[in-house]
Amino acid sequence: MTLANPLMTASGTCGYADEYADFVDLTQLGAFVTKSITAKPRAGNNYQRVIETRAGMLNAIGLANVGLDVFLAEKVPLLAALALPVFVNVAGTTVDDYLAVADALESVDIVRGVELNISCPNVKAGGIQFGTDPEQVRLITGELRKVCRTNILIVKLSPNVTDIAAIAAAAVDAGADALSMINTFTAMAVDIDTRRPVLANGTGGLSGPAIRPIAVYMVHKVYTQVAQAAGVPIIGMGGIQHAHDAVEFLLAGATGLAVGTALFVEPGCLMDIRDGIGDYLDSHGFASVTDIIGTLEV
Amino acid sequence: MSEPSVKKRGSYLAEVLANEVVCDDHGRLILDVAHFPPTAPGQFIQLMCRPPTPPEAGRAIEWRDGQTPQFTQAELLDSQPLLRRPFSIAGRREHAGGASELDIVYCVKGVGTRWLAGVNAGQSLSVLGPLGNSFVIRRDKPAAALVGGGVGIPPLLYLAEQLATAGKETVAFIGARSADRLPLRLLPNADVRTDGAPSHCAAELAAYGVETAIATDDGSLGMAGVVGEAFGKWLDGSAVSAENVVVYSCGPEAMMEAVALMSLAAGAECQLSLERYMACGMGTCQSCVCKLRDDSAQGWAYKLCCADGPVFDAAQIVWD
Repeated sequence: MTLANPLMTASGTCGYADEYADFVDLTQLGAFVTKSITAKPRAGNNYQRVIETRAGMLNAIGLANVGLDVFLAEKVPLLAALALPVFVNVAGTTVDDYLAVADALESVDIVRGVELNISCPNVKAGGIQFGTDPEQVRLITGELRKVCRTNILIVKLSPNVTDIAAIAAAAVDAGADALSMINTFTAMAVDIDTRRPVLANGTGGLSGPAIRPIAVYMVHKVYTQVAQAAGVPIIGMGGIQHAHDAVEFLLAGATGLAVGTALFVEPGCLMDIRDGIGDYLDSHGFASVTDIIGTLEV
Repeated sequence: MSEPSVKKRGSYLAEVLANEVVCDDHGRLILDVAHFPPTAPGQFIQLMCRPPTPPEAGRAIEWRDGQTPQFTQAELLDSQPLLRRPFSIAGRREHAGGASELDIVYCVKGVGTRWLAGVNAGQSLSVLGPLGNSFVIRRDKPAAALVGGGVGIPPLLYLAEQLATAGKETVAFIGARSADRLPLRLLPNADVRTDGAPSHCAAELAAYGVETAIATDDGSLGMAGVVGEAFGKWLDGSAVSAENVVVYSCGPEAMMEAVALMSLAAGAECQLSLERYMACGMGTCQSCVCKLRDDSAQGWAYKLCCADGPVFDAAQIVWD
C-alpha cells in the first residue's frame, strides 16, 4: 500500500471523520485514522477527563465512542466522502470484541486497515492489558491477522513497557503489517488542594511535545532492532507539532507520521508539517521522503 | 476577488486593539478579526495564549540552504501553554471592509490567562472559532432575566445587546466575590441597591437599558450574599409572570443549579451556559462532557459542552 504522503491523524484526536473539515482540508492527508471503535457504544469515563501539564496533556477519555453499528451507519459515509485510505482504530475488552469489529470492517470499501489498540491506558479491562506482555500481543495479533483478510493490520504499541522492541517483535512475528508507535504514557496529575488526582479516572495518558524525545528514541530502537529487518513500516507519533519534529521521526525510522495532540490546538498544522517536510527535503537535497527514512547516523 | 458566500469556522489571525484591566482579576481584550464568521451570544472562541502559529502566520520554522534554525533560548525557556483556552464572546461590532471587533472578557486564573493579561495593542493572536451553540431568544417571550457570576458574566453582555435589539424587557442579576473582582464598570453615581433590587448601575448593561442587581460574597458592593438570592426575590415578586420570562444564566455551577431550580419551579424557561475543561473545542477530544437527560435506562447521556453546548436547557441537565 502506498500513501500520497506520510501524514495522518492520530487516533482519538480527530473524531470519526469530518469533525475538522472546517479547519483543514483533510483530503490532503496520506490517510485518516479514526478514533477507537468498540463493538458496543461506550459512554467513557467521568469528568474530568483532560488536564494540561507542562508541554503536554493527560487524558482519560475511556474510549468513549458510538460503537460499531453507529460507526458503520453514520460515520463510514462521511469517511467515504474524504476519498482517503482509512485506518480504523479498534479497541475492546475481550479478544472476541476486537475480532467482531475487525471482521465487520472487512466489508467496508473505504477502510483499508485496522489499527489494533492494545495500548489504551484508560480503561479497566482490555486495552493496555493486551499490549504489555509479548505473549498476549502475539496471541491477539495472530487472531486479528486471521480476520484482517484484505485490510492491513497495524498494531499500536504502548510505551508503558520495559522493552518495546520485544513487544514489537511479537506483533511482527504474529503478522502485523505495520506498527504504530507510540500511544500515551500512563501518568498522573494531582490537585494539591483536594489531595486527589485531577482526572476522575485517577491516571491518564500523557501526550504532546513532552513525550516526543522518548517516542523518537523508541521508534529508532524498534526500527533498528525489529522493523527494518522485517520490512515492517512504522507509523511514528508522539508530540509532533512542526515539520522539524516530523523529520526527527522519519530519520529515526518512521515511514508514516501521525499528529495527535497538536490537532487540538491547530488542525491546519497537518498541512504546515507536510509542506515543511517538503521544504526540508528540497533544502537538504533529497528527492523523496523515502530517501531519509531511518538514515539517522548514530 | 469575490467573498466566499459561507464563511466557515476556522483559525483566524486577530490584531489586539486594546487589552484593558476591568477589575482585580478580569481583563478585556478587544480583537480585530477580518472576515470572522457570523456569531451569536453563547458561542465561544479558542484563544492561543502564546504567539500565534496559524497557517496565515506562515510556517513556524523555515529551512534555508540546508540549515535548520534552532529554537531561540527564549522559546526554549518560555513556559507557554500548549492548549488553547476557551472564552465566550462578550460583544461584537462590525466595521467597513469585513472587519469585526470581538470583546473577550477573561479572568486571570493560570498560565494562559496570565500571558493574555500581558498582551499589548498591536500584537497578533490566533483565534479559533466560532465554536459551540448559542442562547435562543424566544419570539413569544417578552421578558428576559440574566443571572451571571464572575467570568460567567461576559456572554450575558453580548446576549443583553441582542435581547435589546429583539425588544425584550431584560433585567440582570450579577454576582462577584467582591467589588474589586466585579468584571463590570459602574455608572458614575450608580445607586447599587443593597436589598438585591435591580437599578441602572452597571454601565455595560445599562447601555442596553438593562437594570442590574449586584450581589457580592463579602458585601463590599450591592447585596451581601449570593446572586441567586436576589434573583429568587425578583422572581417571587416580579409583575412579569414566569411563563413570559426566559432566564439565561452562566457562572459557577452551584449558582446555575440554584437558578435553574427556582426558574423551573416558577414555570420559567431557563437556558444555562455550562463551563468545562476542554482541550479542542471542536468536538474531537471528548473531554468536556455534561450529563443530559435522555430516555435510556440510566436516564442520561454525556453531551459535549463544546459541540452540543455550551448552552443547554436547564430542564435537561443532570446535576451531580
